Amino acid sequence: MSAAPAAPAETNGDESIVVRSDRELKREEAEIARKYLGRVPWEMVGWGLGNFVLWLSIWPLTFTGVLPLWAAFALATFSITICYLPSHEAQHSIIAAEGSPLRWLNELVGHVSTIPLLLPYRIAWITHKQHHANANDPELDPDHENRGENWWQAAWNGMQSRQFGAGEGYANALGRSEDPNIGKALREGTILSLTHYAILTALAWSGFAIEAALIWWLPRHIAMTYIQLFLSWAPHHPMKEKGRYRDTRAWKSPVGTILSMGMEYHIVHHLFPRIPLFQTGPAYHEIRGLLDERGCPNDRPD
Amino acid sequence: MSNFARSKGNLNALGPVLFGVAFLAPLIAQSFEAASLPVPLGLDPITFGLALGLSLGVIASLRGRWI
Repeated sequence: MSAAPAAPAETNGDESIVVRSDRELKREEAEIARKYLGRVPWEMVGWGLGNFVLWLSIWPLTFTGVLPLWAAFALATFSITICYLPSHEAQHSIIAAEGSPLRWLNELVGHVSTIPLLLPYRIAWITHKQHHANANDPELDPDHENRGENWWQAAWNGMQSRQFGAGEGYANALGRSEDPNIGKALREGTILSLTHYAILTALAWSGFAIEAALIWWLPRHIAMTYIQLFLSWAPHHPMKEKGRYRDTRAWKSPVGTILSMGMEYHIVHHLFPRIPLFQTGPAYHEIRGLLDERGCPNDRPD
Repeated sequence: MSNFARSKGNLNALGPVLFGVAFLAPLIAQSFEAASLPVPLGLDPITFGLALGLSLGVIASLRGRWI
C-alpha cells in the first residue's frame, strides 16, 4: 500500500505553510478516527433484521391481496436494494468484534440481511476482503468488473459480470481464495442459490410465477445493479489508481447522500473500515483537511 | 475446489435450460393469461411458455449468457 508523498516536516517554499510528514498525518488521522470507533451501530442491527422481516412480510401480504402486486414489486426492490449495507457492517465486525459478547448479533445480521440478495455472508466477506486489499487492481479486485467510463457502461458491465458463464470478478476471487472458510462459503452459496431456484420453480408451477418474478427475481437484479453502481463504481471511479490514499474518493452524488447509500464518504471507509456507515460523513468532514493535504481524490465541491 | 468447479461447469451448461423450463415457461404462460393476450399459433399458454422458455434457455446456454 503506497501512501501519498511522505517526507519529514518541512516548508514548501512558503515559510508560513508547514508540510507535515506522512507519520504526523497518519497520527492525526488515527486520532480523528478513534472518536468514531467503538459504538455499536444499533441502527444497522435494526435495519438489517427489520428489513429482512419487511421483505418476508411482502409475500403473505401479496398472496392475501392486502398488498397490490405493483406495490409489492416497489417495496421488494427497495428492500433488496438496501439489504447489503447491514451485512457490510457485520463483515467488518463493526457491530461486534470477534470474542465480544454481542458477536452472535454481528453474525446474525451478516447472515440474515443479504438472503434476499442471494449473497451469502461468508462469500461477501471473503470477496470484500480481497476488494479492500487490492482495490482497483484489474486482476485482483473482484469489484473491478463494475468499471465503466459512465454509469450506464458500468451498469452494463455489472450485468455482464453476473451472467452465469462470466468467469471474472467474484468467481475468480473465490477461486484463488485461501481463506479457511472458503469451503463452507461455497457450500452456503450453492445451497442458497438452489433453494432460491427451487422456491421460484415451486411458486411458478403453483400459479404464482408473476408474484415470484416481481417480489424476488426482478427486484434482485435491479438491486444488484444499483448496489454495484453506488457501492462499487461511483466511489472508485475511474478505478485507475491504487494505494491507500488513491483507490477511492470523496464525491458529491447527484442523487444525494441517502440515495447513494452514504457512499460519498467511501474514502473514510477504506482508510478506517471499522467506522460505522453513519459516522463516515462526520468523520470525513473532520478528516478532510488532512486528506486534501495528501492530495487524495476529492470530487466534492464543498 | 475441483469438485466445485466441475459442478459449477455443469450448472452453467444446464442452468439456463432448467431455468427456461422451470421458471420462464410458467412465467410466460401466466403473463399471457394475466394480460389476456392471444397466444401465438393458437397454442395453450403453457405449451407456448415451454417452447419459448426452452428456446431461450438453450440459446443462453449456447451463448454463455442471457444478455
